[in-house]
Amino acid sequence: MANPNQGPANGADALESARNYRRRLVLGFSLFMIFFVFYMGAAVIQTPVCRTLASLPCLGMPLGLFLSMMIFPVSWAIIVVFFLKWR
Amino acid sequence: MENNYILVVGFIVFFVVVSIVITWLTQKSTKSTSDFYVAGKGVPWIQVGIAMVGSYLSAASFLGCAGDIGVFGIDSIWLSIGFFGGYMAVLLLIAGPLRNVGSYTVADALHRRFPDDRIKLVVMISTLVISTFYLVPQMLGAGLLFELLLKWNFVAVTIGLGILMSIYIIFGGMKATLYNQVVQAVFLWITMIVITVWGFMVYADGSLAALLDTAAKAVPPIIAGKDTSVVEAIKGMAPAQAIDTARVMLPQADSIMTIGVKTSNTIAQISTVIALVFGTAGLPHILIMFYTVPNARAARKSVTLCIVALGIFYFCAIILGFLLIPAIYPTIVDWISQGSKGVGFAKNMSVLDIAEKLGGKWLLAIAAAGAVASVLSTAAGLMITAASTISHDLYKVWINKNATEKQELAIAKITTLVMSGIAVVLAVLLKDQNVAWLVTLAFGIAASAIFPVLFASLWWKGLTRQGALAGIVTGLVVSVFFIVLLLSGVKTFIGLPTAGGPGVFGVTTAGVVLILVSLFTSDRGPDTEGFFAQAHKAEKE
Repeated sequence: MANPNQGPANGADALESARNYRRRLVLGFSLFMIFFVFYMGAAVIQTPVCRTLASLPCLGMPLGLFLSMMIFPVSWAIIVVFFLKWR
Repeated sequence: MENNYILVVGFIVFFVVVSIVITWLTQKSTKSTSDFYVAGKGVPWIQVGIAMVGSYLSAASFLGCAGDIGVFGIDSIWLSIGFFGGYMAVLLLIAGPLRNVGSYTVADALHRRFPDDRIKLVVMISTLVISTFYLVPQMLGAGLLFELLLKWNFVAVTIGLGILMSIYIIFGGMKATLYNQVVQAVFLWITMIVITVWGFMVYADGSLAALLDTAAKAVPPIIAGKDTSVVEAIKGMAPAQAIDTARVMLPQADSIMTIGVKTSNTIAQISTVIALVFGTAGLPHILIMFYTVPNARAARKSVTLCIVALGIFYFCAIILGFLLIPAIYPTIVDWISQGSKGVGFAKNMSVLDIAEKLGGKWLLAIAAAGAVASVLSTAAGLMITAASTISHDLYKVWINKNATEKQELAIAKITTLVMSGIAVVLAVLLKDQNVAWLVTLAFGIAASAIFPVLFASLWWKGLTRQGALAGIVTGLVVSVFFIVLLLSGVKTFIGLPTAGGPGVFGVTTAGVVLILVSLFTSDRGPDTEGFFAQAHKAEKE
């Protein structure tokens, strides 16, 4: 059976992996937190406790709906940043 | 059978033939366990990205997301957005490192860091529970679709589907599954866009403002359908007239744009959303697809393609949901007036109804075939995942450690048949239950039992073997416990609402237990640094 899990070959690779780990941790988490805060914020606004806020008009539609629909472009924008910054 | 439905049958037969041809073409190259489980690990990222779309888009996405908006109104847009958002956690936190450390199953990645067979066992159990919760509604939905649309025998249809999927998994393995998922995803995706764009031009005159104005005026069908005088009054009316009449008769009623018609509890909403976001990153049938591409970079590209395609799909599903109001409002109200079965009917048949109104029998046939495609592609992914985990994580580890590849492969194929049989039996037994929401619960279990441990394993060096085990078991037990409460009709438990499923409670408790146990234990695996070096290794161009 093929074993695809070949480890880094030497110390230099291991050092680079450690650097990658820290850099990717910061990048991945930062972008995910931006997404998650926006996402949860939009979800909470779209509940009865925030009905008044969600009903405010924004670009021809209620704010709650607008923010919910904005999740699509915001996600795509985050993906673009992710690919530009990922090393 | 009505003549109109000959086309529906024609399209469905087309999919069956395509599946069999693909299986025949791929079966010669499916020899080893690697071929069967992960298609030899060399599949192009574009193909896997499209296949992921097919695997993820179940009947609930194609029919249910828009249908739910048509029944309840704006609250239901979060079903679509929730399904979409799940892949962001997969891309940003899981896909790359998982591809670097896993081989065939989700349990492999965890077992690589903590070589403890018990971890494989608990992940296998979680995988089976999640897959079954996800699989049964697919089979049941397909059976009901055929029964309602074509008047075919429910049992015969579900058995037929089970046999079809078993054939293409047993003979073609992951390779056939991926090719089939690609064909089905493309068909489904294009169908959704065509129906939405066409409907938008016809029923909203290409104006979002006009569409939302109509929605703001309309009494939600779930309210109007429960008022017999309204149901009688709008029978036979055109949708626009029916919307006005219902509003005149129920002037104080909420509208389609009113928040809270379906989701009245904020914690329940948060729980559902958390389950969908973190659940996707814990769905075994999605995660194992990362092993089919050559490297981590390809895995991320696959997910990205999938996210873009899903975004467009779910955006369309939301618009289509609102379009149901000006298109088929009286029909939905009439369905709902028939009780809980009618509500289920309205949720699942509205998309097919608008398709027929727009494009006649041709578009109805295409939409029905799209629904069947969504079921086949999702169910096949689930079945191959269950087969892989039984043969690779249970049989090879706990029953026959010296199993040859041939034996392991044989067990995977037998498991496929058994899983197919179980899914058919459960679908038949639960036929009269509305179980579409089991899919959402599967997300809750995946978010609780798999995601916290998988995530911590890939990113936290402080995680210990005991913490990982405790996290998985806690997540599984808490999520299943909440589901049992929900099924038993218990509305709250120690003040926590069960309506939103186990998401927030399972993820939180699993995370807390995982951290606490890890802080008080010390077995961080035999080679933590080596594991992290592999998971986060440099990517060569």
